[in-house]
Amino acid sequence: MTVTNNAPSGPSPDVAGAGTDVEVAVDLITVVVDGVEMRVPKGTLAIRAAEQLGIEVPRFCDHPLLDPVAACRACLIEVEGMPKPQPACAQVLSDGMEVRTQYSSEVARVAQEGVMEFLLLNHPLDCPVCDKGGECPLQNQAMSVGRPESRFTGAKREFEKPINVSAQVLLDRERCVSCARCTRFAEQIAGDPMIELLERGAKQQVGTAADEPFDSYFSGNTVQICPVGALTSASYRFRSRPFDLVSVPTACEHCASGCSLRTDYRRGVVTRRLAWDDPDVNEEWNCDKGRFAFAYLNQGRIESPMIREHGSLRVASWPEAIDAAARGLATARGSVGVLVGGRSTVEDAYAYSRFARTALATDHIDFRARQGSAEEAAFLSSKVAGAPVSAAYDDLESAPAVLLVSLEPEDESPIVFLRLRKAARAGTQVLSVGATATRSLGKMSGRLVSARPGDEANALRSLDDETRALLGQPGAVILVGERIAGSVGAASAVLELARETGAALAWVPRRSGERGALDAGALAGLLPGGRPLTDEQARRDVAAAWGVEAADLPSEPGLIGADLLEAARDGRLSALVVGGVELADFADPGLAVAAVENADFVVSLENHHSAVTELADVVLPVAVVTEKSGTFVNWEGRPRPFGQVFRDALTMSDARVLAMVAEAMGSSLPADVASIRKEMGALGPWTGARTPAPDTAPGASADGVVIASWRQLLDSGLMQEGEPHLAATARPTVAIVSASMAAALGETVTISGPAGSVTLPVVTGDVLDRVVWVPTNSPGCHIHADLGAVPGTPVQLSAGGAA
Amino acid sequence: MAISESTREQLQQLAARYPRPRSGLMPMLHLVQSLEGEVTPEGITACADAAGVSAAEATAVASFYTMYKRRQVGQHHIGVCVNTMCGLLGGDAVYEALSERLGVGHDAPTDDGQFWLERIECQAACTHAPVMTVDWEYMDDVTPAAAVEIVDRLERGETVLSTRGPAIRDFRATEQTLAYPEDGLAAEGTPVDDKMLVGLRIAKEGGMAAPGVPAPSAPTGQEG
Ligand code: SF4
Ligand code: SF4
Ligand code: FES
Ligand code: FES
Repeated sequence: MTVTNNAPSGPSPDVAGAGTDVEVAVDLITVVVDGVEMRVPKGTLAIRAAEQLGIEVPRFCDHPLLDPVAACRACLIEVEGMPKPQPACAQVLSDGMEVRTQYSSEVARVAQEGVMEFLLLNHPLDCPVCDKGGECPLQNQAMSVGRPESRFTGAKREFEKPINVSAQVLLDRERCVSCARCTRFAEQIAGDPMIELLERGAKQQVGTAADEPFDSYFSGNTVQICPVGALTSASYRFRSRPFDLVSVPTACEHCASGCSLRTDYRRGVVTRRLAWDDPDVNEEWNCDKGRFAFAYLNQGRIESPMIREHGSLRVASWPEAIDAAARGLATARGSVGVLVGGRSTVEDAYAYSRFARTALATDHIDFRARQGSAEEAAFLSSKVAGAPVSAAYDDLESAPAVLLVSLEPEDESPIVFLRLRKAARAGTQVLSVGATATRSLGKMSGRLVSARPGDEANALRSLDDETRALLGQPGAVILVGERIAGSVGAASAVLELARETGAALAWVPRRSGERGALDAGALAGLLPGGRPLTDEQARRDVAAAWGVEAADLPSEPGLIGADLLEAARDGRLSALVVGGVELADFADPGLAVAAVENADFVVSLENHHSAVTELADVVLPVAVVTEKSGTFVNWEGRPRPFGQVFRDALTMSDARVLAMVAEAMGSSLPADVASIRKEMGALGPWTGARTPAPDTAPGASADGVVIASWRQLLDSGLMQEGEPHLAATARPTVAIVSASMAAALGETVTISGPAGSVTLPVVTGDVLDRVVWVPTNSPGCHIHADLGAVPGTPVQLSAGGAA
Repeated sequence: MAISESTREQLQQLAARYPRPRSGLMPMLHLVQSLEGEVTPEGITACADAAGVSAAEATAVASFYTMYKRRQVGQHHIGVCVNTMCGLLGGDAVYEALSERLGVGHDAPTDDGQFWLERIECQAACTHAPVMTVDWEYMDDVTPAAAVEIVDRLERGETVLSTRGPAIRDFRATEQTLAYPEDGLAAEGTPVDDKMLVGLRIAKEGGMAAPGVPAPSAPTGQEG
């Protein structure tokens, strides 16, 4: 599906003093299109002006988000005073210019018809077996502006079909019209020019270098914008005809970039997902994880409720399981911990938040199924929770400088990366505090602010004057990733830096549900909307909304992070409610397992079998994202509501299941999305005094060689299961070290941490000395489980494979 | 064949000749072709690294220009111009004769890997049409018989002089020159001979001059 009829994009206004809402005066010129006089901003392309009048000039290579190339010539129009027809997609209008499209010019009509006939000379016209058939711009435009019949009788060009430009993206070269949309996308938008137009003349074809496939995180976009059926995905090829699909607008569940997607399904099964047009957020792009990683929805699902009997789980009816959960939790009331997964919808997270504080009478709740610190919790509570948008995608684009702290956007929030790359191409200075200048940072023309893992706070507090001055400019932004939790003092230092420089500060979590869970108060000490649990007024607000007495709400902030897990392990908490959490994701998976094992009573709300469901006493199956409606809140704080794809699904959302348990416990919860939204809306954000900001002294990096690490976009994540073509485009698992360390180590290195060791190929990179970068959770290297390490953990390196 | 460290250094030197390293891509590709007798994927990757472009971008360049070959060219590259002037004056016949002599068609190597035959475009030597090239050196005013004889002599290892340039070396040597034009051979032969100056002489004798360049402000549309 190709969407090109965007609102006309005038020249991007040159905003002085970005970040402030200055009305920018746009120079208007007068032009005449098909006899209609109109005023358009200077610099407007003829094709965009025509669109404004509802005139569709045929086009293939034109794409509003790519630089014009005029490669396909389908859009020829007549321009007054020019001897030959001109491509409308590249014709910049000037004042007084008169242009005529096929509607009023015979010259344009004949030219377009000729180009269409020419494009079809070598086109196989295999529409009946082509995935694009039914949504194909070539098919459509051949019908609307082409000749009824071809005069070409020769043999058509043939190619071996298809070839892999990557494991996921396939190319049928004979269908290609050489529009260069795919190659321009790869080069201009993604910064991954691994596909190019090769050869020349009649042999011209898209291709890759011999030994370098198109393994870009954004490769699927080329399939979507290819105006013919030349590029297809292994995942969707030959799966369906477009007219047999039902399409539903959805929001991506994978990360906090918050892409708008379109989910297409057929006979109760999702067949594909597309990036949807959302100019404020993902523009028209998304990443390959969001596009292709949906096979998990149907695999390994828990079919029915289960309860533990004589040591093993058995299938139970819903009433029986609800009753068992309610009885067990009622017994433990006041001594229950609640772990909420990072991909809960805000409605579900709100249900956990309210369920904990009312039915369970506990404040021991945390949504951070990952490394999380008390300092980070204080940072989030004081600065982020329920707070209005501090920086949005637009602000990144207009920022003079953006400082990244513990954040690798291409892996951890791909649309943030795309927007930063776009900004950098227009002059934004990107800076990254970290131990390695990645290729990705290069694509943003970024500069590394060196900090050994653990030394981020010191680096932030000793920025040079030049960097400080960059951040002191109006509109500068600081983006903080979830890994800041692993660096002592870093969150405090960032707050200080933002205060000093006046830069906007935004938190970019990795998972889609974290911001919503924070706003919903799924964190000890924090009630919905950023309300401090210890604030009397806040407690009264919330109690009123929940129909309980303020005095009945917990008044002491509960346990979080490792403290919560330790309490469960040591028997200081007697029960756990765990919703959508993977134990291996915690910094100390052993502690998390021990916590679940040792708790007297564990209720697991899950859609897939997991380490928690193995150990739980009651397992309550819940809906996956296609079976419910809800909202994710992206890093900007922007709600991304989505509807239910499968309306006849038999599963229930976490909120509805919790409502049933609550009812059985004599408490109550709103069960449906509409009521929850209404209740949250009525509560609104907190405007009173916020919880205190953290003020933690800077930590220091450990001596010796330490780990630098983050999760790669495509890795061992469970939601990527079942899509081997996607997995095959992941980056290889390697250890990256400086040139001098690589020289000492040779080809492979064995890295030994507290819990074990891994052996990986060595790659030289722009990494600080005495630092080794490895992926956090990729095949062959899961640092928590395999090494017992987190970023900053000292490790031993030895050359070669000897452990 | 692996790309050696010294080749990488040479590639870096080529990159350093230009304000932007990517401008050096074309001489770089000639350099790896001179070393390997063709442009291999490894050669392309090495050039891409030195030029700071992606391997796909370098592949696009290497596959666009016909002077870069992605199969072993062999010892000598034989080109026959078949554009309008040469073609009409016998170039087509020269090509046919060579094709028969070598047993190979357009843009392909002989079985023994000695020669590569190619129909080529105008070499800007139309005065001497039909023109043939050996390792991109001119062989002027050839006939089918003369062209076949040149090939025979090359095959026997005899010294063959190009009409206006130096003695023929081999394909790789020429590729080296294309990477580094300063091969010291520029003074060899007579690049410009009498035949090429005939027109100039007649013009001088007849007092002919090129028409004046019309003033930009008042184009006349009337020239010559
Ligand atoms: S493959 Fe598709 S997008 Fe790429 S150049 Fe060909 S037609 Fe255009
Ligand atoms: S960038 Fe994030 S939100 Fe967008 S498609 Fe990818 S995983 Fe989903
Ligand atoms: S759309 Fe204008 S030339 Fe392709
Ligand atoms: S046509 Fe052969 S050299 Fe010009």
